[in-house]
Amino acid sequence: MDLIGATAAWLSDPAHWQGANGIPSRLFEHVALSGGSLALATLVALPLGLWIGHTGRISWLVVTSANAWRALPSFAVIGLLVPFTTVLDANLGFTLYPTLVAMVVLAGPPILVNAYQGVADVDTDLVEAARAMGMKERQILLGVEMPIALPVLATGIRSAAVQVIATATLGSAFGFGGLGRFIVLGDANKDNGELFGGVVLVAALALTTLGLFLLLERRLVSAGLARRTAG
Amino acid sequence: MMADEAGRAGHGSGSRTGAVSLEFRGVTKRYGHSAQARGAVNDLSLEVPAGAICVLVGPSGCGKTTSLKMVNRLIEPTAGQILLDGVNVLTEDVTELRRRIGYVIQHVGLFPHLTVGRNVAVVPALVGWSKERQLARADELLSLVGLDPAGYRSRYPFQLSGGERQRVGVARALAADPPLMLMDEPFAAVDPIVRERLQDEFLRLQRDLAKTILFVTHDIDEAIKMGDLIAVMEEGGRLAQFGPPDEILAHPASDFVARFVGADRGLKRLSLVTIADLELAPIAASAPPGLPTFSPSTKLRDALSVLLAADSRGGVALDEEGQPCGFVTVDAIASALAEDRQPAATRSGGVTRQGATGVGAAAGDDS
Ligand SMILES: Nc1ncnc2c1ncn2[C@@H]1O[C@H](COP(=O)(O)OP(=O)(O)O)[C@@H](O)[C@H]1O
Ligand SMILES: [Mg+2]
Repeated sequence: MDLIGATAAWLSDPAHWQGANGIPSRLFEHVALSGGSLALATLVALPLGLWIGHTGRISWLVVTSANAWRALPSFAVIGLLVPFTTVLDANLGFTLYPTLVAMVVLAGPPILVNAYQGVADVDTDLVEAARAMGMKERQILLGVEMPIALPVLATGIRSAAVQVIATATLGSAFGFGGLGRFIVLGDANKDNGELFGGVVLVAALALTTLGLFLLLERRLVSAGLARRTAG
Repeated sequence: MMADEAGRAGHGSGSRTGAVSLEFRGVTKRYGHSAQARGAVNDLSLEVPAGAICVLVGPSGCGKTTSLKMVNRLIEPTAGQILLDGVNVLTEDVTELRRRIGYVIQHVGLFPHLTVGRNVAVVPALVGWSKERQLARADELLSLVGLDPAGYRSRYPFQLSGGERQRVGVARALAADPPLMLMDEPFAAVDPIVRERLQDEFLRLQRDLAKTILFVTHDIDEAIKMGDLIAVMEEGGRLAQFGPPDEILAHPASDFVARFVGADRGLKRLSLVTIADLELAPIAASAPPGLPTFSPSTKLRDALSVLLAADSRGGVALDEEGQPCGFVTVDAIASALAEDRQPAATRSGGVTRQGATGVGAAAGDDS
């Protein structure tokens, strides 16, 4: 059977769409863990990046280390974590924990760096004008710098989301669930339909996520920032 | 909005217009910590009475912006005091202080993500006005600066021309009716024709509003046009001269000031005086027909230019109704330069004289 036919056949087999090992439950695992780690990473990295961008404090240190961290391959991060997480729990320490930690720590840097850059790049005259009008620092950050930095900031979160989805897939090599399971099993069982079915599902999830984020950005970013010609 | 006459009459009386007096008392600013650091502003003392426009003018880097920003505490002085109605700004809550001071800068600093209406309403929103009142105020101010609210309130800044942005910037600074306005080269970024129109409109507005205004420019012509009082600053942040425009032009206190105001300072003085201020000769019965005519508001500088161009020794002054009321000669115009005039009646006379006295700077002690 050819590759496309095999993949289509695997995907359309109703048996693969049910049960704990079926596509919906793997998809759920993948989305839940990706969403959870993205939320966690955002919760930490976003305020930190905004604050560093606003104050300019320790920016050199943080941005440099975040960029270095970013250069690490996901696979290596997961592998490096295993010796530490297995100390916590012999079983989960080999599957869930390293992947989860890797997802969070790998999602953080793009969010942090972009939040920092977006805010730091806001015209200083504008910030000073806001201050001169009697805005408090928090009002300047949330009411001026953040909305203006939003396109840059959103790009960071968007790439973190895609990163997280990819990392979750890699985690399957370490026994973590999610859509990557199909790729690992398909490879082990020499079942190309399953292997490429998994690839298609991961790609579809990544693209859907990308699309949803872009839609959200279009809604949230002020029309005043979209440099369209005067209407 | 205050009636026209009330605004005019209010010149110099802070209580009625809500304007405040502004005083710099021995203000010095040094950037950096070393005692050797060159001062950006050096022992600046001057007094601006309520309702007057004081222009800080001088070459680039002489400390104008620094002086301005110390008033709303964007920069803290190294020494000295700045007083609003006698109260040191350093003793006030900085946020409260800033919300009472309008601020207009060269590149306007309009918020690109907010509509024009919301830009104008920033300070009213900050001080907690109701949404309706904010919107009504924004519309009122847009009309005031000559922008039709219906056409402009929902636009974004990128959809405006440079001149329109400056108007919105002025409207925004006026939003909470601040008694003091700080304006840092507000009209420098637009072309000369638009600049002139904005200046004229702003002066017209100011006749009604009678705010106290500290206005920064590097352009001596703008300073002469806008200022009730002019503070000429020189390198190192020193005050070179302080006084009404005519005094600065007639009696420059130093070579620096003379050079800065330019060799054509005599002509510049003529642009401070109008036909209406001139002592007119009666129209001789023998006057030939077809002489140039001048309305009362014609500046002497323009009248002179017309007479020279027409190769005519004289022209006819018209009254408000357009009836001939006197004879204007080149000699009469020239003699206007000879006198030490009190500031013209159309300027805020009381204010200006009050402001020029009691200031221990280079001004005033050369006569
Ligand atoms: N933040 C700053 N740090 C150090 N020096 C400054 C700073 N701002 C201004 N200066 C210096 O102070 C002097 C006065 O600057 P400024 O007040 O901006 O002048 P102006 O507005 O008259 O052009 C200049 O020599 C300038 O280089
Ligand atoms: Mg300046």
